Amino acid sequence: MKKRIVSLMLAGVMILSMAACGNSSGKSGDTAKSVELAVTTTFAGEDTNAQNYKDAYTAWEKETGNTVVDTSATSDETFKARITTDFETGSEPDVLFFFNGADANSFIEAGKVVSIDDIRAEYPEYAGNMNDDLIAPSLVDGKKYAVPVNGFWEAMFVNMEVLDAAGVSMPDGNYTMEQFKADCEKIKAAGYAPIAAALGNIPHYWWEFAIFNHQSPKTHLEIPAGVDDANGQAWVAGMNDIKELYELGYFPENTLSATDDETFAMFTDGKAAFLIDGSWKVGGIVGACQSDPEDPSTLDEEKLDKFDVTYVPGSGDRKASDLVGGISMGYYITKKAWEDADKRAAAVSFVEYMTSDSVIPAFAQHAASALKNAPEVDESEFNILQVKAMRMMAGATSLTGAAQDLFQGECRVSTFDGMPEIVTGKVSAEDAVAEGLEVYHNQ
Amino acid sequence: MGANIYRNKKPAFLFLFPAFLFMAVYLYYPFFKNFINSFMEIKQLGSSGSGFNTPWYHNYQEMVRDESVWVSVKNTLLMMLVTLIGQVGIAIVLALMVDNVRRGKQFFKTVFFFPIVISATALGLLFNLLFLYDKGMVNQILEALGRETLIDWKAEGTALFTMMLPVMWQYVGFYFVILITGLNSISDELYESAKIDGATTLQKVRYISLPLLHNVICTCSVLAVTGALKVFDLPWTMFPKGMPLKSTFLTGTYMYYHTMETKNVDYASALAVMIVILGIILSKAVNMIFREKDY
Repeated sequence: MKKRIVSLMLAGVMILSMAACGNSSGKSGDTAKSVELAVTTTFAGEDTNAQNYKDAYTAWEKETGNTVVDTSATSDETFKARITTDFETGSEPDVLFFFNGADANSFIEAGKVVSIDDIRAEYPEYAGNMNDDLIAPSLVDGKKYAVPVNGFWEAMFVNMEVLDAAGVSMPDGNYTMEQFKADCEKIKAAGYAPIAAALGNIPHYWWEFAIFNHQSPKTHLEIPAGVDDANGQAWVAGMNDIKELYELGYFPENTLSATDDETFAMFTDGKAAFLIDGSWKVGGIVGACQSDPEDPSTLDEEKLDKFDVTYVPGSGDRKASDLVGGISMGYYITKKAWEDADKRAAAVSFVEYMTSDSVIPAFAQHAASALKNAPEVDESEFNILQVKAMRMMAGATSLTGAAQDLFQGECRVSTFDGMPEIVTGKVSAEDAVAEGLEVYHNQ
Repeated sequence: MGANIYRNKKPAFLFLFPAFLFMAVYLYYPFFKNFINSFMEIKQLGSSGSGFNTPWYHNYQEMVRDESVWVSVKNTLLMMLVTLIGQVGIAIVLALMVDNVRRGKQFFKTVFFFPIVISATALGLLFNLLFLYDKGMVNQILEALGRETLIDWKAEGTALFTMMLPVMWQYVGFYFVILITGLNSISDELYESAKIDGATTLQKVRYISLPLLHNVICTCSVLAVTGALKVFDLPWTMFPKGMPLKSTFLTGTYMYYHTMETKNVDYASALAVMIVILGIILSKAVNMIFREKDY
């Protein structure tokens, strides 16, 4: 009898549960427009736009009633590996903010993201506020996939205090390598390190410009077929230029054993004069001028004013004002989200919102964007170094992408990690370039 | 009936199965997969192999030709020697000295053991600051003592010393605690008898402490040598990418370098296989050399 009562009670509970389930399905049907969107970006950690990103997607959530499941992480090799694995295992996000160069090749080859043209076939206004010429095409099929937010530039930061002490004047857009070497000699004689660079750790910027100085904006992005062709010889000459600067003693004494942080500290502490780096370093220099790097109100403006940014010395067909830069990242919509009837509209809405004319200026700041109608810049909103950066950018004669964005992976080893061997003469520039190109063409 | 309970081994297997399954899924399968990967062509980290290399043993051929492999093996063997002499040797001296103090044993135990609880990465950053070229503590002290030029402690000539010193320092306390526990287990009566016979302190150490510590020292030596094979985080924090001039690579850091930096994942897999083989051979050799005695 007892068993019968228990059975009846269980049956009753089951019926009630099923009824409850039925009710909940009904409710979810009522709120079908609310979508949970998985989004992964690199706006995380110490990225200057991490807070801007949070603010922007929170505003989008409020506006649409949708939810963002944010899995953003700092952009590093682990992050790139995670994205590759996610796509391979079918656990990719719905929307991804990622690189548009060789890093994206694997998931584009696998057809896991949707091109802008395919999205426009259904949503004609998609990325309509962008200048299409500035959206980088995929290296795989030439189609455009990633809607850009902010660009980058690479230039030469200057510590004016060191220049003044050495009696060197601020370089301009006509700065040549010969003038640069003469200035370095004066700076070295004054007891300072002319160039802040850790050749054993981050030789990337010097690699890029040293090669660029033997090419032109037109030829810079052509990866040489071999070491013997004109571009190959330009690469070799670039490596030999760095070797010459090393032998002249223009890099810090510990350039082969120092980390990038150490040489950057030399620059901000007034022990080195020149630093070639990217637009993201503006934030780093500003941080070094704050007594509390986390608190912008502690900025020492007088100290910041001692830093400036100018053009990397030019040579041959490359003028100093021919910069390396562009837009290397953007928002992708994955095929997984596109094929989900509920998520398709939400993903499009999200990307449109995050790349709108009102949101992008907060992200782009002093760097470039691909907006058709770039908003007027109010200089009073920026610090002195950002203003100097904007003025420097205004004088740029061309903006060419970074060749190293096309030359990724194992092929870099012989000339990037191998830079100490090149400058110390343990390996010839010719051999190092030949080895890298061979790996590149076999990849 | 009662005796059958002990004869029936099935429940024991049942309880062992979860641990075996865990090991199989998270250790043996990945190792097997890694072994296969070492013959494959893997284009980037996170992607699966696109086919076998040509020839399939290409990575192993490359490994023999790769100078950095030999540098990393040489440095790892050197690290073993340093851990044996530096860690176990210093720990023996410290343990014998602390064993002879009457007060404050616990204080010394805590002080010497403390570095173990700090993460190796944090220690790497700490020693980075100590050995910093510009404004580093060591160079500042030397400057205060009258030295006019700065020493680059991370330059090619001094890098190995700078890398191995903190590794050695970190684990001294670990072996010290094991050894002092071993010393405590030696009966006081032996020392008292020796004292009555007129033995000096050094004689007591030579003829009582060290012989009776033999097995503990053997255990410490085996742990130190096998531990040296796994040293990774501190050297990588202080000398990323084998800086300078690829002279500071250990087998573990070199494998990581190829996995995370060059993305040559299949080659890194081959290096991992080499590390396992090297580990097995060295562990066997060390176990043979430091064989424990039966008393």
